[in-house]
Amino acid sequence: MSSIADGTGRVETRPASERRSLPMTARVALLALSAAVPLLFAGDYQLRFLAEILIIGTAVLSLDLLVGFGGLVSLGHAVFFGGAAYAAAIAAQTLGADIVVMLAVGIATGMASALLMGVVVMRTIALFFLILSLIVGQIVWEVVFHWREVTGGADGLRGFPVLKLHTGFATIPLNNGVALYLAALVLAFAAFFTARSFVNAPIGRALLGTRERQLRMSALGYSIPRIRLMALLASGAIAGAAGALYPFVNQYVGPNAVHWTMSAMMIIMLVIGGVGSLYGAFIGSAIYLGIQTYVSSYTDRWQLVVGLVFVLTVMIMPKGVVAGLKAAFGRRKDAEGRS
Amino acid sequence: MTERFPLSRRSFLATAGATALTGAISAPALAQIANKPLKIGMVTSLSGPFTALGESMRAGMQMFLAENGGKLAGRAVELIVEDDQAKPDEGVRKFRKLLGQDNVDIVSGVISSAVALAVRDVVTEAKALTFISAGSANDLARKAASPFVFRPTKTNWMLGHTAGQWAFEKLGKSGCLTIAADYAAGRESVGDFVASYQQQGGKVGKQLWAPLGTTDFGPLLTTIAAERPEFIFSFFAGSDAVRFLRQMREYRLHGKVKLIGSGALFDQEDVVSAVKEAAIGGLNTCNQSPTAPSSAAFTKAYQAARNAMPGEMGTAGYVTGQVIKAAIERVQGDLSNKEKVKEALLAKEVETVFGPMPFDPRNNQAILDIYVNEIKDGAGGPVNQVIHTYKAVRDPGPVA
Amino acid sequence: MGLYAVQSLNALSFSTLLLLTGLGLSVVLNLMNFVNLTHGSFFLLGAYVGVYWLASGAPWWLAFPVAFVAAGLAGFLLERFPFRQFYARTHLMQVLLTYGLSVIFADLMRWGFGAQILSAEIPEALRGVVFIMDMPFPIYRLFIIGFGAALAFALWFVIDRTIWGAVVRACVTDRGFVETLGLDTRRIFTAVLVISAGLGGISGALGAGILSAYPGLDEEVLILALIVVVAGGLGTFRGTVLSALLLGFAMTFSKVWVPEFSNVVALAVMAALLVALPEGLVARKVRQV
Repeated sequence: MSSIADGTGRVETRPASERRSLPMTARVALLALSAAVPLLFAGDYQLRFLAEILIIGTAVLSLDLLVGFGGLVSLGHAVFFGGAAYAAAIAAQTLGADIVVMLAVGIATGMASALLMGVVVMRTIALFFLILSLIVGQIVWEVVFHWREVTGGADGLRGFPVLKLHTGFATIPLNNGVALYLAALVLAFAAFFTARSFVNAPIGRALLGTRERQLRMSALGYSIPRIRLMALLASGAIAGAAGALYPFVNQYVGPNAVHWTMSAMMIIMLVIGGVGSLYGAFIGSAIYLGIQTYVSSYTDRWQLVVGLVFVLTVMIMPKGVVAGLKAAFGRRKDAEGRS
Repeated sequence: MTERFPLSRRSFLATAGATALTGAISAPALAQIANKPLKIGMVTSLSGPFTALGESMRAGMQMFLAENGGKLAGRAVELIVEDDQAKPDEGVRKFRKLLGQDNVDIVSGVISSAVALAVRDVVTEAKALTFISAGSANDLARKAASPFVFRPTKTNWMLGHTAGQWAFEKLGKSGCLTIAADYAAGRESVGDFVASYQQQGGKVGKQLWAPLGTTDFGPLLTTIAAERPEFIFSFFAGSDAVRFLRQMREYRLHGKVKLIGSGALFDQEDVVSAVKEAAIGGLNTCNQSPTAPSSAAFTKAYQAARNAMPGEMGTAGYVTGQVIKAAIERVQGDLSNKEKVKEALLAKEVETVFGPMPFDPRNNQAILDIYVNEIKDGAGGPVNQVIHTYKAVRDPGPVA
Repeated sequence: MGLYAVQSLNALSFSTLLLLTGLGLSVVLNLMNFVNLTHGSFFLLGAYVGVYWLASGAPWWLAFPVAFVAAGLAGFLLERFPFRQFYARTHLMQVLLTYGLSVIFADLMRWGFGAQILSAEIPEALRGVVFIMDMPFPIYRLFIIGFGAALAFALWFVIDRTIWGAVVRACVTDRGFVETLGLDTRRIFTAVLVISAGLGGISGALGAGILSAYPGLDEEVLILALIVVVAGGLGTFRGTVLSALLLGFAMTFSKVWVPEFSNVVALAVMAALLVALPEGLVARKVRQV
């Protein structure tokens, strides 16, 4: 039985600090420093755009858990993300938009929809999983699209309160580019480390096992449905957290957020960035949204550009842009070393 | 960061402009404004389901600017067009880009109601002069109206309401069946039609809803054939409208049952030119007609340029240009004081291709002549012929 | 009574369209184990060819072979590059490659044919209706049912009952073995892909009479076809037929009884099917490991 996923999802088992010469603290400091750079140069619009990249990137990261480690390619992933976005927007109208409450609502919704999805798709694999997740996703979309009283139907929801952070001293409104960017940045870091500890934990190793050797894992006494469900829940929680912030970047959420094309877009981002690398999710999201936003200003043919970039990535750099460039670079270095 | 907007050089120009009007230093101040190019941003759908409509809208605006030699009120115009894919999230991002990065003076465009609703708070917060060229959700003129958003277009109510009046007077007091696309615009149009038709005493029979993007209307048309209604009110747009009309003819309902709909069902460029004879005899209420007297010159020019009769979106792009021109000329090219621009635009009506267009001071919504069009065979194929005009139709506005 | 007879014919004609589109997809999937998401593009290409051919005044019935040839040619070129390099890859990589290509083709076709909706002129001979117990039913749809049934039968016969079919099926099971018989398996795969693409083109030309042609149709059709093929179960002809009938009837009768919820009902039927039978309607016995 062929697995739908490639063997690209291997993770380093050693702690990150051992892999490179730089110590862990220096690496984190460097990362934090580079994350601060946009704050100095970017305007409100650019910071919001970066926040959007980070939030969608976080959702793509959660998809990577399923695709890169479980071999589960889902075309219904937007349900976790968009469902949480709707839940947050609806909850904000009654509960107020406290960021902690919103995140809790989002994570709960993400996990609940993951549970629902898990129960339904549990027994399917490969292409059947792909199609069933697509169908489940579209059913949710139909409901969202038609339930005008609650979801606003095709017009979506707007006019909900501004996101706020309640600290001990004061309430800070998160309604400008800087605040939203920082919130998204914290979310992205938290999600990244959560995902990394998940894949390095025994459950993550077991998930890889279900992808690579399903039968052997069963023989060893693992419950494959249980492992997959755990992965779905973890993925749903992260996607839900990202979804909870999404409505507040634009103060709007619409049915598009749960449509299958959103899921397809996430897969494209994931592949461009690199399946199974975790960090690639953010790179893919930046490249895709960058092309879509900026190339479309110059030509109507931007879809052609996205398509070409995507196809070329799949053909030349199946492990993603970063890994591909690294490999190309590495080869050249090797060649120089030998000569 | 948006606070940066009203301050800085702009507000200096505002005070300068204000003093200029009072006398002494008028010439240099105006010259300074005239030297700066006027940046107009337009967001429309150049991919996704409304691609054809978006291309028409852009063409209409470009035609208008070309006719004016690329200048409005003496200022050179730079038009920046962005694609929203008919997705609100994209639309918002593009509006922010135009305002935050390109620093445009005016934003305009939009086809989808959802996009228009989504950008409402963005442009209001940025206090940006906005002209929504299409997007007809009633809420846009009601709950979601904004002091910075002008709407030189119709609302669903304006079309549904007039269609209800016409249907009761001319088509029948009962035996009405409705069929529409099952989403916000379809629900609103049918709701307003039914309300107006019933208010006068009409009786509505079966109401059918087809999912957006219905490929096969066969089962619904068979149901209609079995119902044998006197006439049908319908709302479909784009490919749905084309398939509905073609399949009506396929099932021999075309010509047997009178069909009336909102403008989009028989849009001249998008639908009628695609379905051809299957449209003949159809009725629609629309704020645009290629045969309206006010559209005569434009229709000719558009045909010459695009080799097609103009539909609503091509015209809407052009009309948006006309309204922007009126606004800008009435303030001598100085857009810095938005209150003044608003006052000037509301002061008297604008002559547009749609017809005379005054704005409602409560919500900046255009008050429009609504045409009842019948599709008749013409020299260049079937065409929307005006058979009646409802003068100065005004949306109930914020009170509704 | 007449109502339900006609509604059943409606369902049958829509099922046939689904079947024709699904068949092309299922042929490559079942015989070559290749997931081809550019199939929607072949359909749309065929639809455009059909629209232009029928408008040109040339003999109408030639529109279908011409659409077959046009889409088949596109398939032939694609098979050379880059499909061939991906036969041995996983389904995921095939899905990604072909989905990316379909995005490119969608944009190229929009460039070439424009964004306007084009509807096909149904030929004069097929334009009428027949009355079944007083209810009208279009002759063109009867034509689709007949044409589709004939095409599906021919395909089944070739694959299941002739030596050609046997060779192709053998290629899937053990390509090396077929090579030792002196047959060029690469050519066989090329032929299968061309036939599949051609089928997509022909169903596009047939469907254009009902669906019209416009940017975006490719994706709508692809999704339906994918659901049909996968829910039918991989590796079986019978499954695809049954699944197309199921989806066609579900979509039609949900529109008759609960038009507002028709999409949800049809989707729920297919979801329930896959939940109950996770490997589709007709599962091929596969050795695990």
